[in-house]
Amino acid sequence: MFTGETMHISEGVLSAPVLVTGAALAVTGISVGLKKMDYEKIPQVAVLSSAFFVASLIHVPMGPSSVHLILNGINGLLLGWLCFPSILVALALQAILFQFGGITVLGVNTVTMALPAVICYYLFGRLIKGKKRLLSLAAAFACGFFSVLLSGILVAGALLSTGESFISAAKLILLAHIPVMIIEGIITLFCVAFLKKVKPELLGGVYEKGL
Amino acid sequence: MKKGYNIRFSFIILFLTAIIITGSNVPALAHKVMIFAWVEGDTVFTESKFSGGKKAINAPVVIFDKDGKKLLEGKTDNKGEFSFKIPKASDLRIVLNAAMGHKAEWTVPESEIREADNIMEKKKVAEPSGPTTVGLSKEEVKKIVEDSLDKKLRPIVRMITESKNNEPSLTEIIGGIGYIFGLMGVALYFINRRKKR
Repeated sequence: MFTGETMHISEGVLSAPVLVTGAALAVTGISVGLKKMDYEKIPQVAVLSSAFFVASLIHVPMGPSSVHLILNGINGLLLGWLCFPSILVALALQAILFQFGGITVLGVNTVTMALPAVICYYLFGRLIKGKKRLLSLAAAFACGFFSVLLSGILVAGALLSTGESFISAAKLILLAHIPVMIIEGIITLFCVAFLKKVKPELLGGVYEKGL
Repeated sequence: MKKGYNIRFSFIILFLTAIIITGSNVPALAHKVMIFAWVEGDTVFTESKFSGGKKAINAPVVIFDKDGKKLLEGKTDNKGEFSFKIPKASDLRIVLNAAMGHKAEWTVPESEIREADNIMEKKKVAEPSGPTTVGLSKEEVKKIVEDSLDKKLRPIVRMITESKNNEPSLTEIIGGIGYIFGLMGVALYFINRRKKR
């Protein structure tokens, strides 16, 4: 079935153990994030949270269907662990205002979007920050690309409990999101290129304190 | 100096975001799955779609009564529609299961079903007494009126049902961004207080 694909899991789909695990993981991530939050980071978190909040409303047409942007890669890249609170706030508002996802699945949805962002931050952050321009841009593309890919895999994993087989769910989600991965890769690349020119400290700052 | 730059930078990003939102056609952008149902005669009609307007094709629909017992199931056709005869006079909970964690439901209240049932019974009573009299009996007139009303009202019922779908409006989106910045203000306030102590 090809229709509007999304990474938000709706209310009442997942079983209780999955919901509880998701919530517990989300709480852990958020508390790590909040500990690292300081005065100067807060406006940045708010801006990226807004970007994430709006991104889900921008649809990319794809064949008979359409998919939306996620922007978790940029969130992770610029915020590190702080992307947990940032994404949580955006998802909570999406759930309350638009009924995307839902309050009970908030934990699971936060983890499926924020955890890949943090992983990509550790994988590619150093390279992106590095002096070699080409390498850093390639890493930026990979950061946007893989954070969506990993999110898709996590969503498929969460859907396991509903009886949907992992392979078929993952295949559907990942196929539908290939254009998004590429678009997000390009967006991340341009963001990094822009920030390197205009405000390189923004890229560096997280790494000095963060790791 | 450095902080001023930071804030200016934030505003540039915010401004760009605002342009993107207003520039894109917002109402067509959501992606929630929805199912609508309405009763017509003895049949319940349902229509399923994603909130960009895409129909949910070939998606399984399950109907439960108010005790959660499964009554029947089916699949939406290529217009996203699925209809069935009223199986039981009870609240009908209609659940749509689209793949990948999409799920939506719609409840048809018992009162609506009973009303439809009553009309059907009256129709059954009315029909046999038909052809013998020259003029139209009261029941027949009623039946004709009800039939044509059903037909005439169909688009309106549909419109009302569909208007219940809540797609994100521009006000909600801007409101959401406002909430985020409000939260930012609260966070800054508390950190500031902690620092002063």
